[in-house]
Amino acid sequence: MIRPGSAATVGLMALSRIAQLVAVILVIATFNFVLVRAAPGDPAQVMAGQSGASDPKLLDDLRKEYGLDKPYAVQLASYLGRVITLDLGYSYRQRRAVVDLILERLPATLLLTVTAFCLALLIGTTLGALAGLAAGSVLDTVFTVLSLVLYATPVFWLGLMLVLVFSVTLGWLPPFGYETINVKLSPLERVLDIAQHMIMPVTSLAAIYLAIYARLMRSSIIEVAQQDFIKTARAKGLSGPSIVLGHMLRNALVPVVTVAGMQAGALVGGAVVIETVFAWPGLGRLTFDALLQRDYPVLLGIFLILSIVVIVLNLLTDLIYKLIDPRMTTGAA
Amino acid sequence: MNEAMQAKVPVLSAENLSIALPEGGDRPFAVENVSFDVKPNEVVCLVGESGSGKSMIAHAVLSLLPKSIAVASGAVTVARQNPTKLDRRALRRLRGGEAAMIFQEPLSSLNPLKRVGKQIEEMILSHQRPTPSAAEVHERVQQLFTQVGLPNPKLLEKSYPFELSGGQRQRVMIAMAMANRPALLIADEPTTALDVTTQRQILRLIDDLRRDRGMGVLLITHDFGVVADVADRVVVLRHGKVVEQGTVEEVLRHPKEAYTRELIDAVPKARLDDVRHKTIRPESLLEVVGLHKTFRVKRGWLQPPREVVAADGISLTLHEGETLAVVGESGSGKSTLGRMIMRLTEPDGGAIRFNGQDLRQLRGEALRQARKQLQIVFQDPFASLDPRQKVGDAIARGPMAYGTSRAEAMEQAKKLLVRVGLNVVAADRYPHEFSGGQRQRICIARALALKPRVLIADEAVSALDVSVQAQVLALLAELRQEMKLAMIFITHDLRIAAEIADRVIVLRKGRIVEEGATADVFTAPQAAYTRDLLDAIPGRDFFDQPGFASAAGKIPTARMSS
Repeated sequence: MIRPGSAATVGLMALSRIAQLVAVILVIATFNFVLVRAAPGDPAQVMAGQSGASDPKLLDDLRKEYGLDKPYAVQLASYLGRVITLDLGYSYRQRRAVVDLILERLPATLLLTVTAFCLALLIGTTLGALAGLAAGSVLDTVFTVLSLVLYATPVFWLGLMLVLVFSVTLGWLPPFGYETINVKLSPLERVLDIAQHMIMPVTSLAAIYLAIYARLMRSSIIEVAQQDFIKTARAKGLSGPSIVLGHMLRNALVPVVTVAGMQAGALVGGAVVIETVFAWPGLGRLTFDALLQRDYPVLLGIFLILSIVVIVLNLLTDLIYKLIDPRMTTGAA
Repeated sequence: MNEAMQAKVPVLSAENLSIALPEGGDRPFAVENVSFDVKPNEVVCLVGESGSGKSMIAHAVLSLLPKSIAVASGAVTVARQNPTKLDRRALRRLRGGEAAMIFQEPLSSLNPLKRVGKQIEEMILSHQRPTPSAAEVHERVQQLFTQVGLPNPKLLEKSYPFELSGGQRQRVMIAMAMANRPALLIADEPTTALDVTTQRQILRLIDDLRRDRGMGVLLITHDFGVVADVADRVVVLRHGKVVEQGTVEEVLRHPKEAYTRELIDAVPKARLDDVRHKTIRPESLLEVVGLHKTFRVKRGWLQPPREVVAADGISLTLHEGETLAVVGESGSGKSTLGRMIMRLTEPDGGAIRFNGQDLRQLRGEALRQARKQLQIVFQDPFASLDPRQKVGDAIARGPMAYGTSRAEAMEQAKKLLVRVGLNVVAADRYPHEFSGGQRQRICIARALALKPRVLIADEAVSALDVSVQAQVLALLAELRQEMKLAMIFITHDLRIAAEIADRVIVLRKGRIVEEGATADVFTAPQAAYTRDLLDAIPGRDFFDQPGFASAAGKIPTARMSS
């Protein structure tokens, strides 16, 4: 018998989800392909236009060379083949392969979003749990007001205000960028330098999510505290901390994980705004620039990569969910 | 009970205990001036209807009352200590140490995300000093599982609560309670959520453990059958006050107070051998032929779906004006059967003939017209009425949907409300203003507004207190006569079936194991399963025999797994 929650079941789950993942990516790629074909003009015209000599002969040659004279089905197949091998095309604006452009920017974005996400989750759930345990107290009221304020604050405005206070007025933090350029730094100094640059963008990005997780955790803790098994735990003579840590937290985290997983993708979207405000050299900025310049290959490449990131995050959420709650593996809950 | 034992110091005593309710409630005290003792090796039952304060007392013993509710005067003494006067550490030692508690709903009383073995280990580790080694704890858990009759302890300790049956879960709860050899076990309606056969096993287990360990047991129940089976002494509560107390014999056989008498009389069909005999009219109204239904629950990838057979070739006939009881334990498919007849659940195969038509073939308007003649009343009167719809509307909407004018439908609704024993002004109120029994009356009025020919009552009185239950059953019996209704009465309570039905069908795992006139099924059951069910009805010894047989020691010692 395969026990629910065991490594074997979760492993099987992972396999089945990876198969689904590949299928979803192919569907998205197909969708992208149709979008490109729906746009007026074709790559041959763009290329011919760029080279400055758009005579029909050159167009035909280009079409033949790139397989554009073949039926759509054949073109789609070869496009999907390229997607599978991560060949996302070429940016004529930047004169570089789209894959290179994206891979160059991805680490900065991941650093920003993953840090913000982890901090929001950690601090949010901790504050929420404390508020929930002390529901009705002064502490609870302070946390509630604070999280409502954070929740209601527009991300870009918070970013701008932080710059105004900490960079312009106080001069404590660098106002923009990823690291200080044109300076020789030891590896440790470089890490600290990047961390210093990260403080404000991470804070702005994390604020709203922190507020959401805190609110959610608070109500979840209050709900769990009223469950019968908490009464059982008290009747067992367990101490307050062992009831909270041993019985309440894990149960209270289940709804938070669900929401956090769904929002992790949106976090990348939020990064576009923040990266623009703080001139952060990540995917967000690349997207913004590509939009302004109508750099379709770059945009499509980013969309594809972001879809993959979102799908992978959902997969991770599902797996974490199943590790937390054994009932999920059998659909018994 | 011998004299030496009588002389022992009680493990629990309540002296003039009063528990105050927050201001603005319907009464100032949840419990008022309650005094009683539980001696070692004694089972004391607190019995009363909902709101009698019996659970409050149980919670006060371990100081588990909600923050807004406190002991106002008097005291509880548990193992020579007063829980309200203890510091945190001493209180923790008392809880689960000297006194342990089990609850009504074992599934929600166990942490769903923790293996049951771990939950018991925790009980041992938090109490025993010096802290035992992991191996010792593990061995103790295995021992406990064996003692409470759980099969395969090795596999079981790794299970999560949702993987166990209701009976197994309650056994886990009992194993946990027994972990530190408490002097007192408090059991708050420990079998109310369980099937009748499982209930018997759990009650036996508690009784055996009590005997083995000389433990005092405070058992809270609303069921006089349970009282008759297990109690040494009984405390009858009403509105937080003790109505009377004494030995089982005194209280059940010779009640001094009218209220106790009423409660005992309200037990449906106390004498099971004395059931209605009625000649059945031959005209059949509803015919179910070879009904099949299998539910498939999807499981993980690569695992076959779990199949639950709810109906495995069920055939039955309901005659004009007849009441047919469908009885069975949870999971027997009795509710699914009711829902399939209503076409609320689609069967996989078979036919449902009503009035010459096959209900399964009907579509659209024809189905709508047929449905009007079949109405259903559900178990939970709190969940089956729209909380934001006035009662009058809830009743009138049905006829209005079939073309009756609003004024006329409201007029009918008011008449029906009066007929089911409520006031005309009830029409303008919302469901939350009514008690459970009143709501069930409203649900009945709602079902009858369409003048159905068949009424399906799905555990319609199971959620009600015994005295209210008796009233609603009487109302249904009257209405059945008046409106010439045929009824399908789905219930897990065999006493209720005996009380109201002309014929009985016994279901098990989607199959009919026995079918016959009520008198035959109850006096001469053919199937072994029916006999098991009948034997498991609590309080049979007491209620069935004219001469009183003391309940103490009557329960045969047997440890069965569920």
